Amino acid sequence: MRRLLATLLLLVVSAGSAQAAPEWSGDLRPIAASDWNRARAAHLLERAGFGGTPEEIDATLALGVEGAVARLVRPQGIDNGHLPAFEHSRVHDPGLDPFPASRPATTEQAKAEGKALGVLVKPEGNRRLQPVVNRFFYWLRASLLETNRVAYWWANRMLATKRPLEEKMALFWHGHFATHEDKVRDYRKMLGQLQLLQQKGLGDFRELMIGVAKDPAMLAFLDAGVNVKGAPNENFAREIMEMFTMGVGNYSEHDIREAARAFTGWNYAGTRFAFDAAKHDAGEKTVFGKKGNFDGVQVIDLILAQPVTAEYLAGRIYRYFVQDEITPELRKRLGAVLRDKRYRIAPLLETIFRSRDFYSAESVATRIKSPVELVIGTYRKLGLKHVPGVPDFNDVTTALGQHLLHPPTVAGWAYGRSWITPGLLIERGNFIRDVLFPDFLAEANDRYPSLVAGEQVRAVHERIARGLDVTAATTPEGKEGDGAMAMSNRMADRDEEFNTRYGSYRGWQQAVEAIKPIPRTMANPDLSAIVSKSGSRTTRQAVEVLAARFLSVSIGDEQRAAWTDFLTRELGTDRIERARTYMEDGLRMLLHLMLASTDYQLG
Amino acid sequence: MNGIARRTLLRAAFGSAFGAPFCIAHAARAAADERRILVVLELSGGNDGLNTVVPYGDDNYQRLRPNLAIKPNRVRKLDDRHGFNPGMAGFERLYKDGKLAIVHGCGYQQPSFSHFASMAYWHTAAPNSGEETGWVARLADALRPDAAPNFIVNIDRSQSLAVKGRRHVPVVFDDPDKFARKSFFEQRELIDGVERATQNDSANRAFLRDISNSARDASLLVREACAKYATPVDYGIVPVDLRKVAALIDAKLPARLYYVAYRNNAFDTHVHQADLHQRLLTYVSDAVFGFVRDIERIGRADDVVLMAFSEFGRRVPENTSLGTDHGTAGPMFIAGKPVKGGQYGQPVSLAERTPDDNLIHTTDFRRTYATAIERWLGADSRAVLNDRFEAFDFV
Repeated sequence: MRRLLATLLLLVVSAGSAQAAPEWSGDLRPIAASDWNRARAAHLLERAGFGGTPEEIDATLALGVEGAVARLVRPQGIDNGHLPAFEHSRVHDPGLDPFPASRPATTEQAKAEGKALGVLVKPEGNRRLQPVVNRFFYWLRASLLETNRVAYWWANRMLATKRPLEEKMALFWHGHFATHEDKVRDYRKMLGQLQLLQQKGLGDFRELMIGVAKDPAMLAFLDAGVNVKGAPNENFAREIMEMFTMGVGNYSEHDIREAARAFTGWNYAGTRFAFDAAKHDAGEKTVFGKKGNFDGVQVIDLILAQPVTAEYLAGRIYRYFVQDEITPELRKRLGAVLRDKRYRIAPLLETIFRSRDFYSAESVATRIKSPVELVIGTYRKLGLKHVPGVPDFNDVTTALGQHLLHPPTVAGWAYGRSWITPGLLIERGNFIRDVLFPDFLAEANDRYPSLVAGEQVRAVHERIARGLDVTAATTPEGKEGDGAMAMSNRMADRDEEFNTRYGSYRGWQQAVEAIKPIPRTMANPDLSAIVSKSGSRTTRQAVEVLAARFLSVSIGDEQRAAWTDFLTRELGTDRIERARTYMEDGLRMLLHLMLASTDYQLG
Repeated sequence: MNGIARRTLLRAAFGSAFGAPFCIAHAARAAADERRILVVLELSGGNDGLNTVVPYGDDNYQRLRPNLAIKPNRVRKLDDRHGFNPGMAGFERLYKDGKLAIVHGCGYQQPSFSHFASMAYWHTAAPNSGEETGWVARLADALRPDAAPNFIVNIDRSQSLAVKGRRHVPVVFDDPDKFARKSFFEQRELIDGVERATQNDSANRAFLRDISNSARDASLLVREACAKYATPVDYGIVPVDLRKVAALIDAKLPARLYYVAYRNNAFDTHVHQADLHQRLLTYVSDAVFGFVRDIERIGRADDVVLMAFSEFGRRVPENTSLGTDHGTAGPMFIAGKPVKGGQYGQPVSLAERTPDDNLIHTTDFRRTYATAIERWLGADSRAVLNDRFEAFDFV
């Protein structure tokens, strides 16, 4: 039924040369050299990277399908030396390691030992623990702000890299091995994990999985430190099986408990993996019915030997790059490919990116772009060399639902339709406007906190400067009289050894002092140049050029006419030459309409 | 895929056929009830029920949780067996005022210990099945088969499975201030235009058009309602979006089903949980208490009921990290003036546990859903839940 409909549609729209034969869906055989064309080269760059400019698409087309895919999946020879290394703000010092579990744990430690976080308790006077509390909040904020700088650094790599699949795959693994800065509370570990994903993401999955299992950010995120002989903590083993390798329902609770024992003693010290033999349970375990004195690596090997593992991974990779859903049959076949290639990722991707399935009508221009793909892809297609500081990359991706290094849960992002709600669709359009008509009055988030705590921090800041005492300055204002104040607001400042709100405020201030600012540059794209260079003579041709450059979906006549009329009205003429000296604003308004449309959400 | 879709369609068709006499019988009552609203509050991460409604009188509790058990002198006592966590002043007030019902031991057969699987079971109200739609959406279909717009509101970054349905397109937003298209005056007509489907739309393209139209319909209403709303009521530090719900109710949005969440797996307290868990409970309890009072203030106390749940409780014995691991049953809460306060369902036994030290659930959570569906909203719970569940009389 569906196939028949697709055939009929094909007859109707067969003018489009990109249209694939309908029977290509589910077919893993490679397309022929003669099937390779410009539209397919654009599709490959869209999916295997973050989209291409017309020049990049031409270069990809010239390589032929085999060469183009090989260049993407095996990019090791391509020089990326123009990409700068991450420049640390130098906000960490050894006193901050190990960082206590919470503010109460910090102040308890300070009371007991006279010192915490490398800061001594004041011998006398009011709020003797205040410097320690300030230091605690300083590091929370500094790590958060520096993690945002790591995300911004990564965004610039996505934009400027000559090896786009490396970053695209790192983004996949980041969602797969979802680790959240909020819990890790150490940007250095987050950066270390990201670099692991960038370096090993296209390599051997076994090596990657072991690397992640020994990665300090992951070990911190999953509380590996408390997984010790005699008292195994299942969290780590559960996530490895459920999220990273097999999927729910393919192992027993017993397997989890036994596997947890194999990972006992795995921990980190600072930014390095640390194994504590005294806390490791070297006894016999039974995992998937096999007995042995397994350690963590051996358990990973047992997991990789399970047929379901390759299928689970191949299915997730397919759903990230190709279609939202995968049939069980195709999943099995892709799993077999991954297993045959001994868990090497590059050959699996090579099979996918050369397959007829990847270029089938069901696969092309049907996938909802993730927020990061939308943002980076827009900047790439605008021809930008740097990610703008206005709008702020982290603010935008947070608003759109994909704040890097802050995945919502251990399952990462859900992708597909979960990216779109009425609210998020509107935000996507507003992001485009903020690029084309930037909010040049905005305060930068890394200079002035606008998070949940922002309002409170600002209020304290202003009252402290007016000379109010700490208690008065930190009491929340504007709430109704006594009896009805919420418990959380009443309780906040009871302990007189220190004031939490003041600590939060002062911590912010110290962190902002120490952090290097993100440059607040703006996109300032030159659409007039793009249109002029294309040789467009009429507004209709300008619409065609911009639509071809930015949209993956082919637009209908009605849409084309509406946009052309709009541009003609804004320019006061349908002749580009006549409007050349002033057409930038009109073109930007047009592009905003185009990229705020539902069609631009598909790639 | 097609097979599943067909099966679901058939089921929906039969469901409504069987449901028809019921609908007629209850038509009069349902018409009178059209002001009634249900707010669902999700506590994500697996809330530790035993440290929420504390069985302080049970020796097993103190024995199995040597470090984490809350001492009898610290709990907010409800009776000689149970008391609230000390952080829950708001819930204690509601309970004493007779506006809070506790349903003990809510869970389901063959519990999953995965956050995602278990949460999906609560969202779909169909444990251990491949159900693809959420119960709130199916409830909307039962209440308004014509899928009138703005009937379900889900305040969150992304849409919950609970509101994912076949007919209704829920209004999903997070920040009402940003729920508006920025544009020049000259662009308004084109940017706010209705998206019309074309013949060769892919499934995702059609989906995007539906969402776009819903965004256009709802955004102005939501934005204005939230911007206008001023309340002296203190919702505490984390209002879990309940203030926004009150604003929309006050603005008479047609929505009758609201879905909000304490987000980001916050209740997943594996390590050093005592302070953190108490703080989370304080936030929730402050927010719900504030919400109930605010709803009274705007004169809608007789029309609004809130129901709170979490995807599972925690294991009975504490772990070695001063936290608790994924478990099974937990309490549900129903708050509001129309609620008959008190305790419902059989309290869980700490003595009789599963071999892996988990609670055995005493109440299928869908009984609580069924109560809200039938007795509060007057819909046929069997059509929504695809099975018959005995209702409580807390409302």
